[in-house]
Amino acid sequence: MDNLNDLKAIWLTAKTDSLPDSHEMVQIVRKFRNKKLLKITALVIAAIVLVAIMIWVVFVYKSTMLSTRLGEAFIIIAGIILIATNLNSLLRFYKLKECSNKEFIQFLEQTRLRQQFYYRRTQVVAMLFCATGLLVYLYEGVHKNSTLFIASYATTIVYLIVLWFIVRPRVFKKEERKINEQIEKLHNISKQINE
Amino acid sequence: MDFEQLYNQYSPQIFRVCMGYINDPEQAKDLTQETFISVWRNLDTFRNESKISTWIFRIATNNCLRAIEKNSRVTKVELPFYLPDIPEETQEGKLTFLYNCIAELEEIDRIIISLMLEDLPQAEIAGIVGLSHGNIRTKVHRIKEKLAIKFKEHGQFE
Repeated sequence: MDNLNDLKAIWLTAKTDSLPDSHEMVQIVRKFRNKKLLKITALVIAAIVLVAIMIWVVFVYKSTMLSTRLGEAFIIIAGIILIATNLNSLLRFYKLKECSNKEFIQFLEQTRLRQQFYYRRTQVVAMLFCATGLLVYLYEGVHKNSTLFIASYATTIVYLIVLWFIVRPRVFKKEERKINEQIEKLHNISKQINE
Repeated sequence: MDFEQLYNQYSPQIFRVCMGYINDPEQAKDLTQETFISVWRNLDTFRNESKISTWIFRIATNNCLRAIEKNSRVTKVELPFYLPDIPEETQEGKLTFLYNCIAELEEIDRIIISLMLEDLPQAEIAGIVGLSHGNIRTKVHRIKEKLAIKFKEHGQFE
């Protein structure tokens, strides 16, 4: 192929007039909001509110039973795990500055592996703390009234069963498949760079 | 340099590079917009460690690579073995044929050839991709060979 100049001439015939002009572009960038980062930010804020409420409850509601204190502690731990993990992933994106394709692919690969770890381990641990916390926390408030006790525990247990055995496996399966596909594609691109 | 000036100067180039990578005008337009959203947000923090063009092309090509997260598929049109002469007679036909040949290459090769066709020096391409100048030279040679085979197979640009 010794006619690269011919190809360049053809290449430059691409029409670019469908692009917005610079004034329209300024309007577009001003309105733009990154939905993915907003979602993580919302999750972090919700977790901070949850932890703040639980800490407030610890000081306002003077419980007499150890189970209540334990429940409060477990729910706070779950909230802190959520805050720490998501805040960390947010900061990684903000810290990411100028980088080459090679560095960017490494960053994305690492991000996907972290995400995989989050779904497999961190989320399970946080959910375990939260579920256990909720179950033991409820006890003090309802143990004297057997009807209330049965109703509260039945509802909570059904809710947790649905969450653990129906909702989570579905979401996990879908996310896991997506992440694995992306890891494979990124690995393939990484191989292209390094070969 | 202010944002509007940068946009006017680089948006056609960025669009063509994105088009070379993704082979879909709408997605290329979206990728161009995403690139300039990043440029707008980070212009204040640009540290002049590299040329501004290198910086913008890095953002654009990284955005292209990230398109795999959105499950964007590169439009690959299966090329028939014997292509009739008529469609490629026009500039538009020739351009479509070129895009289709590039779309058959691997991701990094698509980025490198698009930057080459934008007339970027190999040293700058090396800085964008993150490889040594020598590596880029070898890759460019291989890409040219691959494209030559494709053109030969389809009886074009001989």
